Amino acid sequence: MLEGAELCFNVDHGYLEGLVRGCKAGLLTQQDYVNLVQCETLEDLKIHLQTTDYGNFLANQTSPLAVSTIDTEMRKKLCREFEYFRNHSLEPLSTFFTYMTCSYMIDNVILLMNGALQKKSVKEMLVKCHPLGRFTEMEAVNIAETPSDLFNAILVETPLAPFFQDCMSENTLDELNIEILRNKLYKSYIEAFYKFCKNHGDVTAEIMCPILEFEADRRAFIITLNSFGTELSKEDRETLYPTCGKLYPEGLRLLAQAEDFEQMKRVADHYGVYKPLFEAVGDGSGAKTLEDMFYEREVQMNVLAFNRQFHYGVFYAYTKLKEQEMRNVVWIAECISQRHRAKINSYIPIL
Amino acid sequence: MGSLFRSETMCLAQLFLQSGTAYECLSALGEKGLVQFRDLNQNVSSFQRKFVGEVKRCEELERILAYLVQEINRAHIPLPEGETSPPAPPLKQVLEMQEQLQKLEVELREVTKNKEKLRKNLLELIEYTHMLRVTKTFVRRTVEFEPTYEEFPPLENDSLLDYSCMQRLGAKLGFVSGLINQGKVEAFEKMLWRVCKGYTIVTYAELEEPLEDPETGEVIKWYVFLISFWGEQIGHKVKKICDCYHCHVYPYPNTAEERREIQEGLSTRIQDLYTVLHKTEDYLRQVLCKAAESVYSRVIQVKKMKAIYHMLNMCSFDVTNKCLIAEVWCPEAELHQLRRALEEGSRESGAALPSFMNTIPTKETPPTLIRTNKFTEGFQNIVDAYGVGSYREVNPALFTIITFPFLFAVMFGDLGHGFVMFLFALLLVLNENHPRLNQSQEIMRMFFNGRYILLLMGLFSVYTGLIYNDCFSKCVNLFGSRWNVSAMYSSSHSPEERRKMVLWNDSVIRHNRVLQLDPSIPGVFQGPYPLGIDPVWNLATNRLTFLNSFKMKMSVILGIIHMTFGVILGIFNHLHFRKKFSIYLVSIPELLFMLCIFGYLIFMIVYKWLVFSAETSRVAPSILIEFINMFLFPASETDGLYPGQEHVQRLLLVVTALSVPVLFLGKPLFLLWLHNGCSCFGVSRSGYTLVRKDSEEEVSLLGSQDIEGGSNQMEDGYREVTCEEFNFGEILMTQVIHSIEYCLGCISNTASYLRLWALSLAHAQLSDVLWTMLMRVGLRVDTTYGVLLLLPMVALFAVLTIFILLLMEGLSAFLHAVRLHWVEFQNKFYVGAGTKFVPFSFRLLSLKFSDDVA
Repeated sequence: MLEGAELCFNVDHGYLEGLVRGCKAGLLTQQDYVNLVQCETLEDLKIHLQTTDYGNFLANQTSPLAVSTIDTEMRKKLCREFEYFRNHSLEPLSTFFTYMTCSYMIDNVILLMNGALQKKSVKEMLVKCHPLGRFTEMEAVNIAETPSDLFNAILVETPLAPFFQDCMSENTLDELNIEILRNKLYKSYIEAFYKFCKNHGDVTAEIMCPILEFEADRRAFIITLNSFGTELSKEDRETLYPTCGKLYPEGLRLLAQAEDFEQMKRVADHYGVYKPLFEAVGDGSGAKTLEDMFYEREVQMNVLAFNRQFHYGVFYAYTKLKEQEMRNVVWIAECISQRHRAKINSYIPIL
Repeated sequence: MGSLFRSETMCLAQLFLQSGTAYECLSALGEKGLVQFRDLNQNVSSFQRKFVGEVKRCEELERILAYLVQEINRAHIPLPEGETSPPAPPLKQVLEMQEQLQKLEVELREVTKNKEKLRKNLLELIEYTHMLRVTKTFVRRTVEFEPTYEEFPPLENDSLLDYSCMQRLGAKLGFVSGLINQGKVEAFEKMLWRVCKGYTIVTYAELEEPLEDPETGEVIKWYVFLISFWGEQIGHKVKKICDCYHCHVYPYPNTAEERREIQEGLSTRIQDLYTVLHKTEDYLRQVLCKAAESVYSRVIQVKKMKAIYHMLNMCSFDVTNKCLIAEVWCPEAELHQLRRALEEGSRESGAALPSFMNTIPTKETPPTLIRTNKFTEGFQNIVDAYGVGSYREVNPALFTIITFPFLFAVMFGDLGHGFVMFLFALLLVLNENHPRLNQSQEIMRMFFNGRYILLLMGLFSVYTGLIYNDCFSKCVNLFGSRWNVSAMYSSSHSPEERRKMVLWNDSVIRHNRVLQLDPSIPGVFQGPYPLGIDPVWNLATNRLTFLNSFKMKMSVILGIIHMTFGVILGIFNHLHFRKKFSIYLVSIPELLFMLCIFGYLIFMIVYKWLVFSAETSRVAPSILIEFINMFLFPASETDGLYPGQEHVQRLLLVVTALSVPVLFLGKPLFLLWLHNGCSCFGVSRSGYTLVRKDSEEEVSLLGSQDIEGGSNQMEDGYREVTCEEFNFGEILMTQVIHSIEYCLGCISNTASYLRLWALSLAHAQLSDVLWTMLMRVGLRVDTTYGVLLLLPMVALFAVLTIFILLLMEGLSAFLHAVRLHWVEFQNKFYVGAGTKFVPFSFRLLSLKFSDDVA
């Protein structure tokens, strides 16, 4: 698209943008969370959610209510909204939506392969899959034994196919290899998505690129953190880092050399954005974890995305915010159902 | 009429409901719709209230009922809708009802589940028979194909080896067959090929008749497929792929006899299943029919019950926890009805202690209740759309009933158009009980709700049309014109008259394109036309000039009268709220300001109309110049309208100038004096809060009541109201702003009333254009073929008249009339800061099924 999205953006995408902004206004507010936290039982939670944008989504569930039903129903609701957006979108927004679903598809594929490894039935695993990343070929994933098999037989025609170029190998799929496969897929996915947004230019690039940069760097940190004490070599580790973030290239090289959390923190100290996040992480019981800090930062970026108009970032931001909200509600619901109220307040508030 | 002039007096009542009888009392109250409940538990979130459990139970019942309605609708059983609404169920029956419903639900779910299972079975069997029938043809073909396949391997040595190996190992040909969804065939085939690398043979045939999908119940097209393969490994993969694409796989018979046996077995089983399914369906239908009879009343009952519990959630418990305390607003006139309803409720529940009520004094502003009937409702809605009136203030709706249609008609003045509108409204009014009109769509409903407004608008338009003498842009000559053209001829006058005046003779008529009638010549103008404008003006070239002058002056006069009336209504408000000082310090200066400037303008207009006649019209001074000179005091002396005009105007100006400072400073200074000098006077200062009972004792009484009630939040509320700070600066600012607005508003609002003239001009011109462009063309064609052309012309004329002149112009005139009322009229006296009285009434519940189904 040419410069000046203001001129023609609304012709194709104005309706959807209006819609998504309306949906965003339906996110739970701080007051809602305060009320939710006070709930004694899941029934109370249901009653309170009825007064919010969720409406009667649990009306047809027979009691007793389980946390998993709340989760599924919330996901279904998000999925309905997303499908509506997607079905009414035009190019290039529809490609953008496809990119958005890819991350869920990757997760689903990996989940199913793990399930196959543990000899669980496909039906059982399908329930756990995220509805946004659902596709027909998915259920046949357990036929494959090597990544190239997987690619050739099953995923050739899915949007995931382009991300497979780097990870064609004949290794058998054991747990470590699956994890490596996931990270490689994710790396190429996030780089491709970044490139797409960059090429699109305009406000979309201005909004989406920082978000994706952050996402890439977060993955790099998390990969590093998770690889401590595993058999993954440092060279292998470096190949898994997405290269579209702010850390690229020096930061990633330093990260690859890091051997414990302290060294990782030292790498982050070079970057103004990540330094405060690492500093806020504490050891005590009430302190926040690194993951929480990343989530908080993500929420903040996504909320800010709504300050600009005429770009696709709002759709991405809305989906992510909604997901965070679902995580929050599920967290609160879990705390309530397990009578573990001490930590109930450690949800991530959406500003 | 009294009730429309001001909203009704309200009082705050406290109901002490014995906990045993609360439900019945509220049920009685809900049927009558007398009172509005106040939420006493505002800071308690919805799930922490007392009756959450009961509300939940109601919701559970609603869920079951919704399920019932859904099943009944699916079985296409008609749902009877009762006319009467059954009362809320007594508490004893609720449990019984719940049990019944739950039993019914369990039974229904079981039967439906069985039915679905049977149905699914049946479908599968049908699919199987279809598959067997279709694959029979495949086998013959595969047999035909096999030789070619066997000949194929020699081309490649490796595969030949493989092939022979497999044969040696005893791997035999395997078959998988089944049905697949039409849309998935292509992807299915592709994946099979990719996974099995071509070691399979797939054959397809489309099923002719579409079948129902056992899972979704959708009717779709299916493909029958047969996959033949060698080897265990591939077999597993094929099966997995079949699972992935949700194929319905059925065992494939290897021999012809087997196939025949299976087919026979299937047909008998299908027969059996059919009979069982029919029986189940019959039974289900019976159950549903029985349920359908009572489901309507149940739905209503549960709705009422839920409403009652929602209201009970707003009540607070007293200290002993024995009775509920509710606070309600109730119209004073209906207190005895409220008492009776409480007695009824107590009696019904058979409680030993009756529930009772007492009124409590309050300083809070009660909600506004204005009773309307079907005629006044539309007008009240126009006013309410601007703002619901403050408690007990003058309600402009009463006057709107006449002024609104009148101002509309001034802009819409046309006899014909008005009559069409009147007829349309009359049609709506006469058929107002027709059920289809009540349930029509949004736009039609809008017209329907405003039918009485439309009726009056039409009538008034007929009247103004008569005054303007306009009927579809043509004049109507009812009484004969009072202008005589023949009197202008020189032959009709005596010679001495001929010398004095400019008369017409043959040469004048022959050489002038435009002739002028002179009203000063005797006989030409024989006095005014009895009603409205003389039809002769329709022929005159200076018709517009004449009408413009008339309509402009008329709209200024109407506007000033309308606004002055608004200011006078303000006096009624001040009288009612016991603020006499406001009359002297605000209303009277406002009136003087308005009348001294604009009242004088009206006087000049009327004076000029009366005093100057046709003979003296040449020396008549311009009103505009006179009016401007009133402010400028020019040095040069003009004649003026009347002797002594200068002194009168000076006096008026002095009065105007004096009224401005009074308007600005009078009220704030007076209030300051009150505050300093005699603060015990105790006048409510800002806003129109209730001033009924606010002596010292009663305030203290209030306090004790609060302690009894034991509600902290309530106390806070009262304190907020009672502790009003006297802030001189704020009062001064408000008054100054108000005065500036008023003084400037007088000028701009007067100008704003000129829209009456502008719109009426536009309407007249537009209808004139329509006439000249269509009807005149149609009427000009010669007589033989003219009829043929005239017919479509008239049709087009009618359509355009309705859409452009009636709908579009009508809408614009309507909007302008609304604006004139809201802005120019109501801002003189109307605060409109009240809240509407919303009684707790079962009548407001929707008594339809459509809501629960959706």
